[in-house]
Amino acid sequence: MTDITVPEGLWGSDDEGVIFAWIYADGARVEAGKLVAELTVEKAQLELLAPASGTLRILAPAETVVRKGTVIGKIEPV
Amino acid sequence: MKPAPQQRIWMYATMLKSRLFDAAVFEAYWEGKKPVFHMGRGPLPGEMHQSFGQEPTAVGVCAHLGPDDAVGAGHRPHHVAIARGVDLERMAAELFGKKTGLSGGRGGHMHLYDNKVSFFCSGIIAEGMGPGAGMALARKMRKQPGIAVAYNGDGAVNQGAFHEVMNMAALWKLPFVCVIEDNKYAVSVTTRESTAVPAWKRAAAYDCPGEYVTGNDPDLIFEAAARAVKHARDGNGPFILELETERLHGHFIGDVAGYRSKDEVAAQKDPIPSYRQRLLDEKVLTVADMEALEAQVRQVVAAAIQFGRDSEYPAPREALERVFA
Amino acid sequence: MVQQASTTGGSARTLTMARAGREAVIAEMRKDPNIFVIGEDIAKLGGVFGTTVGMAEEFGAQRVIDTPISETGFIGIATGAAMAGMRPIVEIAFVDFIGVCFNAIFNFAAKTHYMSGGQFKVPMTMMIGYGGGYNDAAQHSQCLVGTLAHVPGIRIVTPADAHDAKGLMHSCLRDDNLTIWMVHKAIWGLGWLGTALKTAMATVPEEEYTIPFGKARTWREGTDVTLIGYGITVHHSLQAAEKLAAEGISAEVLDLRTIVPLDREAIMKSVARTGRVVVADEDYMNCGVTAEVLATIAERDPQILKAPAVRVANPDVPVPFSRPMENFALPDSDKIAAAAKSTLQS
Repeated sequence: MTDITVPEGLWGSDDEGVIFAWIYADGARVEAGKLVAELTVEKAQLELLAPASGTLRILAPAETVVRKGTVIGKIEPV
Repeated sequence: MKPAPQQRIWMYATMLKSRLFDAAVFEAYWEGKKPVFHMGRGPLPGEMHQSFGQEPTAVGVCAHLGPDDAVGAGHRPHHVAIARGVDLERMAAELFGKKTGLSGGRGGHMHLYDNKVSFFCSGIIAEGMGPGAGMALARKMRKQPGIAVAYNGDGAVNQGAFHEVMNMAALWKLPFVCVIEDNKYAVSVTTRESTAVPAWKRAAAYDCPGEYVTGNDPDLIFEAAARAVKHARDGNGPFILELETERLHGHFIGDVAGYRSKDEVAAQKDPIPSYRQRLLDEKVLTVADMEALEAQVRQVVAAAIQFGRDSEYPAPREALERVFA
Repeated sequence: MVQQASTTGGSARTLTMARAGREAVIAEMRKDPNIFVIGEDIAKLGGVFGTTVGMAEEFGAQRVIDTPISETGFIGIATGAAMAGMRPIVEIAFVDFIGVCFNAIFNFAAKTHYMSGGQFKVPMTMMIGYGGGYNDAAQHSQCLVGTLAHVPGIRIVTPADAHDAKGLMHSCLRDDNLTIWMVHKAIWGLGWLGTALKTAMATVPEEEYTIPFGKARTWREGTDVTLIGYGITVHHSLQAAEKLAAEGISAEVLDLRTIVPLDREAIMKSVARTGRVVVADEDYMNCGVTAEVLATIAERDPQILKAPAVRVANPDVPVPFSRPMENFALPDSDKIAAAAKSTLQS
C-alpha cells in the first residue's frame, strides 16, 4: 500500500491548497508517474502524479483543503 | 530642471500613498479567496494589477501636470491615478464595487475614470494612446492650455495603435507625451523578447524626441519629464518618454511569476525606501517631519479604504443605467 | 513550469476542459509538423488559460511562439502561413481582444477562401476564452459569440464539457477552414475560479475522436419545455432543469455546441416536441445567438410554439464590475427556471 501524499516540493509557500479534481475514480487502475489529481494553490494549478501502480483509493475528495504532507489517497498493489 | 524640495516631498508622500493603498488593496483582495481561490469572491473581486515598484514613473511625470492637463493609463493604473489626484475615497469605493465609486461600481479597477482631473484608464493594451492624443487634439482645436499624457507598458508599444497614434500626434504636432513604463515584462514575455528596437528609439520614425531614463528614480524621472512636458506645452509636438521601472510583484495578484528566476526577483530594488533615505540624508525632511508626513498619509489611505468597505452596493437594477447619456 | 503529465493506463479519466483541449492539440501536433501555435504568453507561461501547458517544452520555440502584443500583426502572419500550407493555431486569450484585430479575422482570414474563388484555403484554428461572472468588468467578460457568428466564413464551436472540448478541437484542427474553438472561462477548469464545475468535467477517451460541426447535443431529455444554451448556459440550464423537476416540470436541455453551422434541425425537433422554449446566452441579447434560434423557429414552423419564446441574455449593457449589478445582468439558473415557468403560464 502506497500513500498518495501531497509532496513537500509541490508548491513554494506554506499556504493551503485544494484538491481541484481527481482524474480517476475510486477503484480505478492507475500507473506510476501518471497524472492522478489536480490541485490548486491560490491561482496556480498543480499536477499530482501517482507514486505507484495499482488500484486507487481516494481518501480526500475534490474540494478538500489540504496542506503539503497531507495523505489524500492510497494505491493498493494489484 | 531638478525638483524643488516641496516637489520631492510631494513625490515621496505620493509614492507612499500609492504603496500603502496597494498594500491595503492586497490585503482586502485575499479576503474570501483562501483556501479556494475564486476570483469573484470576497469584498474586492476580479482581477487586480498592482503598482508595487512602479510608483516613481507616476510621480516623476505627474509632478509637472496641473488641472488643464489630461492623463490616460492602462490596466495597472493605481499609482498613476493617485499621482494624478484622482479622488482616493471614490477610487477605493470603485474597487470595492460600491455605489459611491467613481463609476458607481460599473468600471472596477481597470476602468477608473475621474473627469474632475481628466483621468481615464482602459484594460485594453495601448488604448490610452488614441483617446489620450484625442484629448491633446481637443485642447489644440479649442486653443486651450494643457497637454495629455498616456501611460503605456513596454508591451503596448507593439500594438498597432501605438504607431498609428504617434504618427498622427507627430503630424499634427499634438501636445502629447507618450510615457512608456518599461517594467521589463508583458505578463511573461520580456521586452527583449518582444521588441526589436527599444521603443524610445522609435521617436526617430516620428521625428519627435525620445528619451530613456534608467534607475526607476523619481528625481531623474522628474528631470526628464520636465523636458517632455515642456516640449509638448511649447507646441512642439509629442515626446516619447520611456522609463525603466520594476514590477515587484507578478502581473496580477495570484501570478506566481514562475517565468522569472529567483535571482532576478531577489535583485530587484524597491524605489521607495531608498528615496526616503535620500530625502533624510539630504536633509529635505527631518526624521520627525518624515514620520509625521507618513502618519498623515497612512491615515488618508486608511480612511479611503474604510470608505470603500463601508459604502453601500448599488441596487442590482442600476446595471441597466448609464449605457447612454 | 508545469509539464503536461500524461494520463494512460486504460481506466476512465475525468478531465477538465483545459486538459482535454490540450490533449487534442498535442496529439495533432505530434502527427502533423505543419501545426504550430502562436499567441501571447503561450510558451513560457503555457497560456493564460493553460491552453499550451508543457507544449513549448515538447515542441520547441519554433512551434509554440510567444508574440508581442500585436494581434493584427500575428493573426495576419498566421493567415499567410496558413495560405502557404501551414496549419496554425492562434490563441486570443480573451475574446474581448478581437476588437484590436477584427479586420484580420473577418475581412481577410474569413473571406480569403471565398474571395479567391477557392484558390487559397485558410486552415487556421483560433482558441478563444470568453465569458464573465467573476467581476472582470466590461472589457474582459464578454462573449461576442454573436459578433463572430455574424460574419460569413468562420466556423464556431462552443464545447460545454471536456468530452466535447477534445472532440471538437480534433475537428477544428483537421478542418481546412477558419475555425474558432471557444470556451467559457468559468467552465474551463482553471484554478482561479474556485473548484471545478462537475458538469463541465467529463470522461474523456484516450484515443482521438472527432465531433461533427453542426450537431447539437441533448444533455437531458424532457417533455414540457426546451432549454437551449451553449457553454456556461448549458450548465445553468441543467441546474434550472433540476429546480423545475422538483416542481413537476420536465425540461429538456439542448446544447447548441456549434454556433456556426447551427443545428437548426435539432432546435426544431426538440421544440416541436415540447412546444415551449427558453434560449439562454451570456452574450448581449440584441441581434445575437438567441435571436438566431428564435428566427429559425419563426421561419420554419412558428406553429410549434404553444407559448411565446423567452430569451435570457445580457440585457444589452456593458458587463458591470460590481457584484450585484453583474449578477443582475448575466443569466443564471434561477432566471432560466423562471423563464421556463413563464412559458407554462399561457
